[in-house]
Amino acid sequence: MPWDLIIFYMLAAVCIAAALGVVVATNPVHSAIFLVLCFFNVAGVFVMMGAEFLAVIQVIVYTGAILVLLLFVLMLVNPDDLPEFHQGKPVQRVVGGLLGLILLLEIAIAILNREVVGVTGTATPEAIAAVGGNTQAIGRLLFSDYLLAFEVVSLVLTVGVIGAIVLALPERLGEKVVQRKGTISLGHARGVDMEALGEGTPEGEAPILSGRGGFAKASGGRKLVMTNDPDEYTGA
Amino acid sequence: MDEPIWLKFIVAFVIMNVLLVGMAYMTYFERKVLAAFQDRMGPTRTGPKGLLQPLADGAKLLGKEDLIPGSADKWVFFFAPLVVFVTAITSVAVIPFGTSFDVAGQTINMTIADLNIGALFVLAISSVGVYGIILGAWASSNRYSLLGGLRAAAQVVSYEIILGLSLVGIFILTGSLNLGDIVAEQSRTLSIGPFEISNWFILSQPLAFVLFLIAAVAETNRAPFDLPEAETELVSGFHTEYSAFRFSFYFLGEYIAMIVMSLFASTLFLGGTDGPGSDSHVLLGILWLLLKTILFLFFYVWLRATLPRFRYDQLMGIAWKVLLPLVLLNIVVTAAVRLAVNS
Repeated sequence: MPWDLIIFYMLAAVCIAAALGVVVATNPVHSAIFLVLCFFNVAGVFVMMGAEFLAVIQVIVYTGAILVLLLFVLMLVNPDDLPEFHQGKPVQRVVGGLLGLILLLEIAIAILNREVVGVTGTATPEAIAAVGGNTQAIGRLLFSDYLLAFEVVSLVLTVGVIGAIVLALPERLGEKVVQRKGTISLGHARGVDMEALGEGTPEGEAPILSGRGGFAKASGGRKLVMTNDPDEYTGA
Repeated sequence: MDEPIWLKFIVAFVIMNVLLVGMAYMTYFERKVLAAFQDRMGPTRTGPKGLLQPLADGAKLLGKEDLIPGSADKWVFFFAPLVVFVTAITSVAVIPFGTSFDVAGQTINMTIADLNIGALFVLAISSVGVYGIILGAWASSNRYSLLGGLRAAAQVVSYEIILGLSLVGIFILTGSLNLGDIVAEQSRTLSIGPFEISNWFILSQPLAFVLFLIAAVAETNRAPFDLPEAETELVSGFHTEYSAFRFSFYFLGEYIAMIVMSLFASTLFLGGTDGPGSDSHVLLGILWLLLKTILFLFFYVWLRATLPRFRYDQLMGIAWKVLLPLVLLNIVVTAAVRLAVNS
């Protein structure tokens, strides 16, 4: 089994180096690239443990979709506009370092105090082979033992999607969207025969420029009105 | 392990080189077919019937000056084209070119990596390929490139969903994600009354086939979905700043992705290596697979010669408002039929 071990340590080393790169890189896009590398190596570790399905889902969902959207946003941000990247207030740096140290200690304590219990779970290699592979095994588990959790997660995701759509809609739901198309007309109701146009500019309006550089013959005493439809104005 | 690892490397090496040569002649094929569509001759001067044109193109690209824009992010600019190339060529590993055969006491398996999640592997790798486009676009520090990259990101994320979901029907019918199993399932012969027809999934999943084709063209950024490199608006989109061999890596990646998508489509819907005589002769099976692949490649060129480019809002509208409901309908109907047949 030495080959498995060598490959595992290679994956793990690159993974940790990439994770460090995420934190250390000064350019947010570089951080995102390191995160992609990290996720990819985590997928590699999954493959080494025989969980190919999980590895591929990790790549499709996290690497292929979520991080692409993350990069999408990062690329539109001008790096100069970012607030104090890597130069936070002294308080933030101290508290951040302290929290990191506590987390490290917790993990160390958990690893040092672990007890390997000599009982294997139900997911033994034989049991997985019996249902036809780990994809089938995960499917069976999700749709039997964890059906409720699965459905709840689906519901939460659906709510998230609907929420995003509602936020993105320009008008509030339920209100009719007002079409902002209009036409300017010299106000007279449909079907009314107008007398010959008089001289002068309509009340309170600037003269209208006609195509030939001169002023249009203004309608004496009539208002200019803005309507959605030429036939809508009734003269009121 | 049924075969030594060095044998796998040899098979992989051979397939990779065949793929590279195939890519070179895909450009020739495309130019000739496009020329025929437009009543031209296409390349004729280099070699007999212009057959040496791809080699001349390659030599020309190698000889060009390699430019890096002054404000570019050098490292990202350097590796982004490689991402496109490597991901495109990696996904061929799971395509079954036939079952195993014996040569000189060794069993040669014609699938490089017979993964039990082969179909998902192709989808996963092709979804990673988009990073090459986005990062290359960003690293060029060119607005046209960035716009092309953003379009690529939105397009690939949207059409990936259609591509993945259109295969769910096949997975339901086969009960496996292994491409070898999918080909084996399609090699069966169904007898309906007096007729004997093969069980190719294009017959039982016609809607999924059409949706898959549309999504595959969009996923490989080809016309009429080539908005990331829309020449009329974006100069040439994400690879505007690339020159010489870096540019050719994008080019290689795009064409190899097309070939792999065509292989994938033939494997999934047209029975892969299945065909008359393929059970007894492995090479005949490979020939059938290649013929089907060329059919799909011709389809790609045909689309490019025929259809104008979509508008960006149309592209997104088609994916989310038309294709997604149809693909979900296909899954529901397939599942219902499967349930009815089983019970």
